[in-house]
Amino acid sequence: MSDTLLDTGTLLKVAGLRVAFALGGRQIHAVNGVSYSVAQRQTLAIIGESGSGKTVSCRALLGLLPSTATVAGSAQFRGTELIGLSDAQLRKHRGTDIAMVFQDPARSLNPTMRVGAQITEAIRTHRQLSKAEAREQAIELLRLVRMPAAERRFHEYPHQLSGGMRQRVMIAIALACRPRLLIADEATTALDVTTQAQIMELLLDLQDQLGMSLIMISHDLGLAASYADEVIVMYGGKVVEQAPSAKLFGVGGAVRMRYTRALLDAIPHLERPAHTLLPVVGGRPPDLSALPEGCSFAPRCAHARDDCRQAEPELAEHVPGHRWACWHPCENGAAPHD
Amino acid sequence: MALADAAQHHREPGAGADLARRVLGSPALRLAGRRLLTAIPVLWGVTFLTYAIMSSLPGDTAQIILGINATQGDIDKLNHKLGLDQPFWERYWHWFSNLLHGNLGTSVINNASVNSDLGQRLPTTAVLVGYSLLVTLILSVAVAVLAARRPNGIFDRLSLGVSTLGLSISPFVLALLLQYIFGSQLRWLPVISGSIGNNPGTWFKTLTLPAMALGFGLFSVYTRLLRADIVEQMQREDYIVTAKAKGVAPHRVLLRHATRNSLFGLITLVGLNLGTLIGAVAIIEPLFSVPGIGAALIDAINVHDVPLVEGIVVVFALVTVLGNLLADLSYAVLDPRIRYGRSTS
Amino acid sequence: MAAQLPSAAMIPGAPPLLPPLVSSRRLRAQSLSRTLRLWVPAGLLILLAGMCFLLPIIITIPPPTGGSILDANAPLFSPGHILGADPVGNDVFSRICYGGRIAFEVSLAVTAIGMASGCLIGITAGYFGGWVDTILSRVLDVLIAFPALVLTIAIAEGLQPSEFHTILALLVFSVPAFGRISRAATLAVRELPFILAARLSGTGGWRVMVRHVVPNIVPSIATFSLLGIGIVIIIEGALDFLGYGIQPPAPSWGNMIAQGQTVMDVQPQYVLVPSLFLLAMVVAVNALGDALRERWGVR
Repeated sequence: MSDTLLDTGTLLKVAGLRVAFALGGRQIHAVNGVSYSVAQRQTLAIIGESGSGKTVSCRALLGLLPSTATVAGSAQFRGTELIGLSDAQLRKHRGTDIAMVFQDPARSLNPTMRVGAQITEAIRTHRQLSKAEAREQAIELLRLVRMPAAERRFHEYPHQLSGGMRQRVMIAIALACRPRLLIADEATTALDVTTQAQIMELLLDLQDQLGMSLIMISHDLGLAASYADEVIVMYGGKVVEQAPSAKLFGVGGAVRMRYTRALLDAIPHLERPAHTLLPVVGGRPPDLSALPEGCSFAPRCAHARDDCRQAEPELAEHVPGHRWACWHPCENGAAPHD
Repeated sequence: MALADAAQHHREPGAGADLARRVLGSPALRLAGRRLLTAIPVLWGVTFLTYAIMSSLPGDTAQIILGINATQGDIDKLNHKLGLDQPFWERYWHWFSNLLHGNLGTSVINNASVNSDLGQRLPTTAVLVGYSLLVTLILSVAVAVLAARRPNGIFDRLSLGVSTLGLSISPFVLALLLQYIFGSQLRWLPVISGSIGNNPGTWFKTLTLPAMALGFGLFSVYTRLLRADIVEQMQREDYIVTAKAKGVAPHRVLLRHATRNSLFGLITLVGLNLGTLIGAVAIIEPLFSVPGIGAALIDAINVHDVPLVEGIVVVFALVTVLGNLLADLSYAVLDPRIRYGRSTS
Repeated sequence: MAAQLPSAAMIPGAPPLLPPLVSSRRLRAQSLSRTLRLWVPAGLLILLAGMCFLLPIIITIPPPTGGSILDANAPLFSPGHILGADPVGNDVFSRICYGGRIAFEVSLAVTAIGMASGCLIGITAGYFGGWVDTILSRVLDVLIAFPALVLTIAIAEGLQPSEFHTILALLVFSVPAFGRISRAATLAVRELPFILAARLSGTGGWRVMVRHVVPNIVPSIATFSLLGIGIVIIIEGALDFLGYGIQPPAPSWGNMIAQGQTVMDVQPQYVLVPSLFLLAMVVAVNALGDALRERWGVR
């Protein structure tokens, strides 16, 4: 089935993905040519601020965008092209091949449906099982995600559970049909720090156990540094930097694109002298209905020059394994904090 | 495995009693009880206001009954006989204490007991309202779901146009139009109604036009609200995206997830609207000669038949209050967030 | 690092690299549809208002009352009577215009006064809460539970029916309705963080109410008031129809329909013409309310 792929072990190959919304007579360019690939058992982190297109690009893969959206480009999952499939065809892939876990489990679960029923729904949508069999599997799944008192929780409603438990339910739902690829869209953002760590550990253990690939979408660089193999940074609907996480955040970190640099610099460090001003990135995210010519980050970049504003830098692999899109990137080897 | 099954079976027959226990002990019923208590001063306020207004109207009841040529002496005698020459507070207290005993007094005009008069008319109005409400609700839900399937599609726009029409047309104009089209021109349905008589089937036919007159406006309001609610759920709620991401079929997402959660709002609206519905009955019934409560109202006001007007007002106000109560209760019973509080984890 | 030559144009003012994804035809259709849905009903209302208020001033039309019996029952499009004449000889078109004035005046007056007083009650109740809210809410409840029809008819009956008294009577519907909705809107807005911030900064109650709460509930109140105008027009028509409002021979759309009712089987136009105008006006008001609600994002 994967004979058409050039790289063995590539699960997902996205090329030139574009998404635009028609809203109020204007066009919103949410995603403008995104390309990346995810290998088997790999963890990819997609980092970006709100409006960078990270969520939209992933939802586009499964056709989960509203009808005001138009999608173009290519996304091949084990050789099958996903973009352009009809809803009925995509439904076969949703949950079985690719599953998603969303950000706010309080809102992402149906409040009037028992938690167990929501899991069994995921199971019985794709497989012919009796109610009893599905219930058994669901309880097994709850145990798999380390839910205490799984049998009792099965009959409860979402509002009766804590935030961390709700997220475990979401993960259980996502894993119901043993997907190959799990996309966690800001899965831990709405949780407190301790629970966050627990859920991340859980996700990674499950990934290992079930041999899945994981895409984590986040705005948290620390999370990416700790848990991801490969990191993509998105801005204004495009990929602006891509590298293995070790290369980017490790000792002698080689962050090149100015935006990534700015993101790193904005993280408070203990080593800085007291009362130093936090170097935040000024300005606001670009207006996606009127993207500027040239580099989209130029208006906010302290190092922008004329050529930055005139022409858009292309995402190119300047160093093997490391791509960036910047006319005047940071010097190699700049320390993460200086 | 067997144990789990047994546990499951143990739940099933006990589930009913279990539910009852939960509802009765729940904050929901306490809320309902509180509402009932606050309803009492409201009901009192309504009756008092009505009495005050009716009594302060110019015009002499005795004179109206006796006609223009009556002498002052006759008028005074009749007023005394009816107790209308007593001061306001005495009259009100008299009436109110009767009310507390369940007696609504005697109609001034035809000397019949208000209780029995209303008692005869109430079933007719109740059937009319029930008939109208039932058909309207079924149609509303069906149309709203079909419209929400494809927002801004042809069916959706069509139903929006029809519901705008329904909201904009005056009930009496609609009544006249229905009578004209179905009554005179097409001759499908009878134009005026009567009492139930011997033939319930025909009686229902006579109730159809007034039910339609009542129902069209209702249908418009309900359909709009439900459709907007469903579309809102489908487009803005995160759990819908989760359902889709699971691979659930679109019709199930629409029905089991979005519509099921939107029905709350509709039921609440029905309850809150009950009062307005009753008011509309007062206009519709006379137009179709339906011998219900509403038909009696306008005549009663005209002749200053205070006990009868009061009696009808009490019924109306009771229905409104009950409707509000039902709306609140339905939330408590149907919304699991209220039915089961937070559990200790 | 030296800048690398991009593979695309470097000329300033060059078109964006990527071609637009959504067809401009679709965008234009969307935009046009939105504009039409606002301006068609608005235009219709302006037209109707112009017809009722300005036209009789600008051109000479027959008077609405005191028509000659010789003109009785003139059909549509007869010379001198563009919409015909009624059984008494009055010109129908003229009666429509003057009747329309009543519809506009009463509905606008009732809505304006109802909005002012109802919102005062509702916002106060919603904002201050506590026993203020309890008392005011009970008062509103009584007014709502009260069959306003009774009061309306009673008022119309007791006082001489006139436009002014009709306005008074209809306020019974309007004030509690605005009270209820403004209270609900205030409750919704009150919990928003910026209100809390305003109060914490020491801003007095009234000031917060006026400067922060009110501007935020304007969209929902405004769209509701349009709906309210439509409802008042309908109820006013019903009052006239029942004979408690404007009395004939003074024209109002409601009493014209009532008069036409008796001959509806043979001469339906006396019912249809005023009904159509009534319908058109309310449809326009409702459609305008819908378009504004869409634009302002009100639920």
